[in-house]
This record gives sequence, structure tokens and C-alpha cells, in this order.
Amino acid sequence: MTFVIETRGLTKTYGSVRALDGLSLSIPRGGVYGVLGPNGAGKSTLFRILLGLIRPTAGEAVVMGGAVGDVAASRRMGSMIETPRFPPFMTARQVLGWLSAAHGLKADAARVSGWLERVGLAEAADRKVRGFSVGMLQRLGVAAALITEPELVILDEPTSGMDPPGIQEMRALIRSLAERDGITVILASHQLLEVQRVCDRVAILNRGRLVREGAVSELTSSGERLRLSVTPISKTLEVLAALSYASGSLDGDAVVATLSRPETPALLRALVEAGVDIDEARWVGADLEAVFMTETGSVQMPESIHAG
Amino acid sequence: MLADAIRSETYRFTRNRMAVFWSILFVPVLFLAIGTAVQFFTKARMAEMAEALPPEMTAEGGPMALSGTLDLGQSLLAQAGDFANPIVMLFVLIGAAIIYAGDYRWETWRLTSARNTRINLVAGKVALVFGVVLVALATWLVFGLIGELIKAAIFERPLAFSFADERPGQFAGLIAVTVTRVMQFTMVGLLAAVMSRSLLAALFVPMVVAIGQFFLMQALPLLAWSAGDLQAHLLIPGLSHDSLKTLVQGGPDAAAAPDGLAWKAITGLTVWTIVPLVAALAWFSRQDLSKE
Ligand SMILES: Nc1ncnc2c1ncn2[C@@H]1O[C@H](COP(=O)(O)OP(=O)(O)O)[C@@H](O)[C@H]1O
Ligand SMILES: [Mg+2]
Repeated sequence: MTFVIETRGLTKTYGSVRALDGLSLSIPRGGVYGVLGPNGAGKSTLFRILLGLIRPTAGEAVVMGGAVGDVAASRRMGSMIETPRFPPFMTARQVLGWLSAAHGLKADAARVSGWLERVGLAEAADRKVRGFSVGMLQRLGVAAALITEPELVILDEPTSGMDPPGIQEMRALIRSLAERDGITVILASHQLLEVQRVCDRVAILNRGRLVREGAVSELTSSGERLRLSVTPISKTLEVLAALSYASGSLDGDAVVATLSRPETPALLRALVEAGVDIDEARWVGADLEAVFMTETGSVQMPESIHAG
Repeated sequence: MLADAIRSETYRFTRNRMAVFWSILFVPVLFLAIGTAVQFFTKARMAEMAEALPPEMTAEGGPMALSGTLDLGQSLLAQAGDFANPIVMLFVLIGAAIIYAGDYRWETWRLTSARNTRINLVAGKVALVFGVVLVALATWLVFGLIGELIKAAIFERPLAFSFADERPGQFAGLIAVTVTRVMQFTMVGLLAAVMSRSLLAALFVPMVVAIGQFFLMQALPLLAWSAGDLQAHLLIPGLSHDSLKTLVQGGPDAAAAPDGLAWKAITGLTVWTIVPLVAALAWFSRQDLSKE
């Protein structure tokens, strides 16, 4: 497997704050890779180091096969770090023309228009950036990251500040970048559902450390649980509490049981014997939130459920 | 590549119409307007003026000549020599400060910095400022000549253009000296921009330094220094500029210049150009660009 990004022991301290703490990460080529973590986890710090904007306190990073600061290697990467900003007197179209020039590309009106179209800025193409909303700045930031036709694109919270339809469009765009254009996308987000829906693999960061890494399907299947629609609920919880191989908890008007799959028939038998009516029993995958909570012991993932 | 950095800086600057206007066009237009107004005023009061002023000033060939042939070659030399005046330098500095500090102000380093080496990023800006200074000079000369044509029309004076013998050499020398002086002034702005990440500092630090140097120049007699002292040139690039201009223009002032004035003045101007540039490059190449 080839890696677009490899870091070893990457550490960045700001005074007493360890923004990154010995982070070792290998991000494979292809697909969408999520860097997930709560605010302050160190996602933007990681990206700033990869872009050469700041130097790590310790450790090393390799981007597209070159050390950070190797211009030939980093020119194969596009990026958007946090809310992008642009010279206010330029139009969206001019911003892309300017960045093309900075990259040594000839002004290509069709390429510029094509990207403005894909990020949904075709109508605002000739308006000055000065009047852009946060969502429009994000869209232009994504176009700016892609105008140089990179093999790898790093997007830091690309949907923050966007309205729900905009978020949907951005997610579809990100998937199409990976699937249609063959661009490796690295996406930072603090929104679990966003990462779960868009990413193929994910690294979960907390306080500058890597707490879990793997394919989204792997991480969510390992925490699957049995969801039971039953009456009476209290009886069901009693039965579950008495069993050695299972445990249960209440989730809305259903009971969620944690056990290994082979034990399913035994559990159902025990419930029936106790006089419980089972309307439905269904295995559900864990979402990343459950994974995150078990890994970090934290429940603090703002906006994870409702904003997703 | 350096060419990419120059092209992108140029692309951006030329789309900033206000910056182009103030740094290149404004001063020549202002001087032309004021100059023309003065000509009309003089024409209206010609008789009184001729009486009030000493005759050698208003005689043909004198600085306030009101009649006789107007030599545009002479005008061109005078205009070139006057380029590095405080007003031109101040307004060119506006454009230079925007070029040097723009990426801090607009928080755009993160968009461009991974695409080129740090040295090229700064070199591209310096090259563009050099281009802006040359365009400002060309505009200054053209508007100066337009002013002379208007003057000739107002006073119904015949025109001539003599540009022979030593004049092309003097013209080239004056351009070299004045352009270097303007570049040197903006280099202080470059260093201020990089160290402070601030557009205002890029504007005000060179002004404050230049004002300090102006007062120091007035205080030279108090320090018992003269224009022939190397330390004076090492502290006051404006003195070096004035000295070099005198030498290039020739005549009795040049003949009376102290020994070795040329190389002392060249040293002063060079040091004040190169040292801020090198310091800015060194600082920038290790700068953390995330806190724009
Ligand atoms: N320039 C800085 N100075 C001081 N602390 C900083 C700076 N940048 C980031 N930090 C701190 O580093 C930590 C990680 O920040 P960041 O990488 O922005 O997190 P994320 O992008 O995951 O929200 C936070 O605690 C933040 O306060
Ligand atoms: Mg962040």
C-alpha cells in the first residue's frame, strides 16, 4: 500500500499545551480519509504541519513521498485550512486565476469555470469575495484547493458554517472527488455522522493523540448491538441483568442488548421463557460515536448527532 | 519557481485598482494638476512676477524662465532627478506595503506558501515592487513632460529636445540612483511587514525611519560630520541619494565634492537596501505562518 501522508512521533507544543502528542499516522492513497476529533484535538495543527505553515516540536512527516517543505512534493497537494480567506477585492474567478498563476498554470477559463460550477459558485463567480458568506468562502476554499489538480486534497472542516443543503452538496462533492476524479481526500471533522457517511477510513484524535484508526466499516461493526422492541421493557431489563453473557440498556422505547452474535438464540429463548413479547430483534452497527466514547471515555462530542 | 511567484503577485496587484491608482498614478496626476494651476497663475501675474523675481531666475534658461525655447531634454533630466522625492516615495510605499504585507493582512499565506519556496515567495514580491517602481517612474516622466508641454502652450514658447553628449549617461545615472533610493525605502517596509505581520507597520516604520534620518541629516553639523564621512552614509541613505545625484548631474557642486564621495554613497545606499532584504528573507524562511 502506498501512503500519501506518513507521520512519526509528530509533536507540537504551544507553551504547556500539547496540540499534537507523538502522532504516528499512515494515510493510504485513494478514498476519503477522516481525521475525527473534538475541537482542540489537534486536527488543524496536524494539517498546518503537513502544509509547512508551522514546524513540529518533534517527530517527522512525509507528504507525497517528500519531507515537509519539499516544494515539488507539496505542490501535488491542495488544501483548505479552517475558514479560508481571500483578498477581498478579488472576485471568485480572479482568486482561482491568481492561484493558478501561483502554481505556474496557464490561465484556463474553462478549468476555472468548471470548478466554480462544481462547488456551486457559478452564479457568484464574478462577485467580489468581500461580500461572501462563510458557506461561500468554504466553497471557494474547496475550489481553490482543487484548481491546481492535486492528487491529494486536505479539507479542514469543509462544511462548518454551511446550511443543510450546502452540507449535503459538499458531502456529495467530496465523494465524487474520490470516486470520479481519483483524488485522495483527507477530511477533518468534529462531526461523527459526517465522517461516518463520507469517509472510508478514519483516525480518531483526542488531545493530540491517536486513539483509534481503521476502516469505518470495521470500527462500526466491532461495536454492533441487538436492538429489541419488546413488552414489557422492565421485565426485559431484569432478564438481561441476570444473564452473564449479555447486558442491556434502554434507548428510547427499545432495549439495546450487548452480546456476541452466537448467543442471540439463547437470549431470545430466555426472554420468551420469562414471558416477554418480542416485536422485533435487529442487529445494528455501532456508530462512530459509540466507538469514540469507548475509546476516550468522553461524551463530549458537540453537534455529533443533531447537526449531522 | 520565481516566475510563478512574480506572475501571481502581479496578477493580484493589478486587480487591486485602488493600490495601483494610489501607488502609481496619483502623484504624477497631482503634480501635473498643481503645476498647471501654477502656470496659469503665473501667466495671469506675469508682469508682477517678472518685477518681483531676480532677473537671473526669469531669464531664458533660468529655473523660472517665462520665455524662450523650452528644452524637453533638460526637463526630462530634471524630472528623473526629482523622482525620489518624499511624496513619490510615500505613495509608492503604499503599493509596496500592500504587496509585502497583503498575505498577512488577508490571511492568504496558507493558500500560496506550500506552492513555492520561502525565498521565491519573498523574491516574487520584491520583483513586483521593482516593477511597480519602474512603472511609477515611467508615469512620473510622462506626466512631467505633459506638464512641460502645457507650460509651453500657456506661455507660447517654442519647444526643443536636446539629448546629446553627456545627457543619456546622466539620465541613466539619475534613474539608477533614484530607483535604488525608492527601492531602498520600500525594503525597510518589507522587513517591517515580515517581522510584524502588519500592513500598518510596513507603512509607518519606513516613514518614521526616514523622518529620523531627515532630522539626523539636519543635525550633521552638530555632530561635526560632513557628507564626506562614511558613517553619515551608513546612517542616512537619503544623504547618499542626494550625493550621488549631485555627482551624476555634474557641474560645480560635483567638482567640489569630497574625495571618495561616490563609493561612500554607493555603500550607504547598498547597505540600506541589502541588509533589510537579507534580514527579511532570513526571518521569513523560519517564520510560523499559521498566525497570520
Ligand atoms: N497558535 C497557537 N497558540 C497556542 N495554542 C494553540 C495554537 N494553535 C492551536 N493551539 C492549541 O492546540 C490545540 C489543538 O488545536 P487545533 O489543532 O486547532 O484543534 P482542532 O483543529 O482539532 O480543533 C488546542 O488546544 C488549541 O488551543
Ligand atoms: Mg480545527
